[in-house]
Amino acid sequence: MKVLAIAWTNLRRTLRERISLFFVFVFPLLMILVLGLAFGGSFQPRVGVTVLDNGPLAGRLGDRVAAADGIAVRAVASEAELVSMVERGEMEAGLVIPTGYDRALAAGDTATTRYIARAGQQGQQVGAIVNGAVAQEAGRLRAARFAATETSTALPAALARVDGITGRLAAVTVQTRTVGTADVPADAGRFEVGASSQLLLFVFLTSMTSSVALIETRRLGISRRMLATPTSAGTVVTGEALGRFLIAVFQGTVIMAGSALLFGVDWGDPVAAVVLMVVFGMVAAGAGMLTAATLRTGQQAIAVGLLLSLGLGALGGTMMPLEFYSPTLRQIAHLTPHAWAVDGYAELVRRDGDLASILPQLGVLSGVAAVLMALASWRLRRVLTR
Amino acid sequence: MNAALTIAGKDVRQRLRDRSAILMALVLPLALAFLFNLLFGSAAAPRPFRYAVVDLDRGPIAQAFRTDVLDPLQRDGVVELRAATSAQEGERLADSGAVDAVFVLPAGFSAAAQSDRPASLEVIGSVDAPTGTDVARSIAGSYAADLTSVRLAVTAALGDGHDGEVPAQQLATLAARAVAAERPVAVQDVSAAAKLLDSATFFPASMAVFFLFFSVQLGVASLLDERSDGTLRRLLAAPVPASAVLVGKLLTSVIIGVVSTTVLVVASAVLMGAHWGNPAGVGLLVVAGVLAATGVTALVASLAGNAEQAGSWGAVVAVLLGLLGGVFVPVAQVGGVVATMSLVTPHAWFLRGLGELQGGAGPQSVLPAAGAMLAFAVVTFGVAMLRLRKVLRP
Repeated sequence: MKVLAIAWTNLRRTLRERISLFFVFVFPLLMILVLGLAFGGSFQPRVGVTVLDNGPLAGRLGDRVAAADGIAVRAVASEAELVSMVERGEMEAGLVIPTGYDRALAAGDTATTRYIARAGQQGQQVGAIVNGAVAQEAGRLRAARFAATETSTALPAALARVDGITGRLAAVTVQTRTVGTADVPADAGRFEVGASSQLLLFVFLTSMTSSVALIETRRLGISRRMLATPTSAGTVVTGEALGRFLIAVFQGTVIMAGSALLFGVDWGDPVAAVVLMVVFGMVAAGAGMLTAATLRTGQQAIAVGLLLSLGLGALGGTMMPLEFYSPTLRQIAHLTPHAWAVDGYAELVRRDGDLASILPQLGVLSGVAAVLMALASWRLRRVLTR
Repeated sequence: MNAALTIAGKDVRQRLRDRSAILMALVLPLALAFLFNLLFGSAAAPRPFRYAVVDLDRGPIAQAFRTDVLDPLQRDGVVELRAATSAQEGERLADSGAVDAVFVLPAGFSAAAQSDRPASLEVIGSVDAPTGTDVARSIAGSYAADLTSVRLAVTAALGDGHDGEVPAQQLATLAARAVAAERPVAVQDVSAAAKLLDSATFFPASMAVFFLFFSVQLGVASLLDERSDGTLRRLLAAPVPASAVLVGKLLTSVIIGVVSTTVLVVASAVLMGAHWGNPAGVGLLVVAGVLAATGVTALVASLAGNAEQAGSWGAVVAVLLGLLGGVFVPVAQVGGVVATMSLVTPHAWFLRGLGELQGGAGPQSVLPAAGAMLAFAVVTFGVAMLRLRKVLRP
């Protein structure tokens, strides 16, 4: 029972500080919100289109580009604004249809549009999509202009003629299909990926930084006084461990429930999702306790805790999806517990897995938790009884 | 003024001896910036799309697609090409993610394309490379549009009533002329300057401005420490004007902020190859950023009851401003309401100002950003001064 009392005190001490409530509960949910708003949904390169000519042909080209697959097109009023948006990275590229576009075409000249992009591969790749849309329109214009010259008719009449034939004539077409299983299914909500990664990042972060409390307990002599009562070192260590673990699980529960209620995050199989969170909570509690048993001052613990939890979190794929890593880096990432838990949630959320399908991840994480807890208990017992 | 300098000098020396202060102000931001750049720098950089080409036709039109369309793109580094022998092999490559998309030119494609029969080429995309697939579709679509355009041109040029009765000779010359006809719309590439930070600069810059809001706390917040320790009363009993104490504490923050940020700028440039841009411009931004951070911290300290409160409220404010200002998530590039809202933070202006310096711009280009941060500093300092005077009343 003393174990429970020590653990309960730990949890209450953490929850009593209003500031820590912000970092433990509010901030993770805010991060999920911002990440979802920023990166949620499928990303398409953004292209601005500025139509400076108000002729029908210019408008038609603008519409063609706007209808192109694979880019999100937005109308921008002026070229200067467009250039500045591309320069600042608010858009990947822009297309300017200049004044005199219609006149140049009517006069039989080449109408030149301007494609604006930052130097680099992405600009060229988006350029291929814009070029494709322009080519569709250019093909129609070329056919009409050729017919106009050959039959000595005016361009508008020839255009009408080409448009009339287009439906009847057998065309050269492109058939597209996709293969493979999506890493992220198309029906995934915009907050799903962010939610599980922020859960892992912050449960670990809180365990690491709240280990300061354990250092305080040691420094203020509270643990020595506890040992002076008829309480064994084992009980104190177990109570502290249970306290760390309770904090992690409590935080995890609030983040999971909060994100589900506020943002409609689907965590997949609920039992498996909670079990995975609980096991990861044990890893985090063990790591936090080991930090507290190893370092001397609270400030050291905060700095080391931040560095380790952000560093391991980044490497473990809680800031950028593991799929973006090179194969070697992905292997290195699996030295962190985060990567295993990220894999577990990917299995649950994206592939509708259940408890059985995340057994490998649970196994690895339990092993890590056991090793960390054993090390931390041994170390803490030594510093307490020294 | 002398008293203020003495106080600042003593405080700065005291902080320099504090190893955990150096850990927070220098080691942590530099280590995180290095790690983030190492992990995310290469992943964020775009790579050429990888396409496989399956040429089952081997006719002139299929070959022209490879030599006139795809090869130039490969030379420009936009795509990487490999050959595959069958549609099945191509599909396997796309399925496993080894390529982003596959072009399949079916047998008889050239013959069909040169006749008036329907002809079609196929793009098989990997589901995990949506943009790569769309680009492949556009490349193929562009080529198909050119081919269709020739058919349209010939048919339209024949006029009415000639369907099916045209001598092959006449058709061939018409088609040849149509092929030679110029494309009436040209796309001219205009390269825009990149006012964006590369990852080797973005991560040190964002970490520097984020941790700046913690390191400047070491100055102002010590005012509250001195009050609770009772040393403030002793200071005020000495022939030192209250304003000198305040200026001394603020000066401590500014010195710590400028020194730590400067060390971070130089260290990241040397160790990570960060490109900060014009030194005078960077200097202006650093000073304006430090003043804004000191102002915000002074304001928080003036509202807090004790040093511990000031520290934790300061942390909350630093984290919230950092999140909104694009330190963790590049909100400025995401656009929309969040990007506009981010401009209420000094962080966003600091990063934006550094962006303006990219591409060799001079120090005058940072004036709007520096001005915004100074305005932040003036407002926060003003309010903080009014409130902190009370703290200093004996």
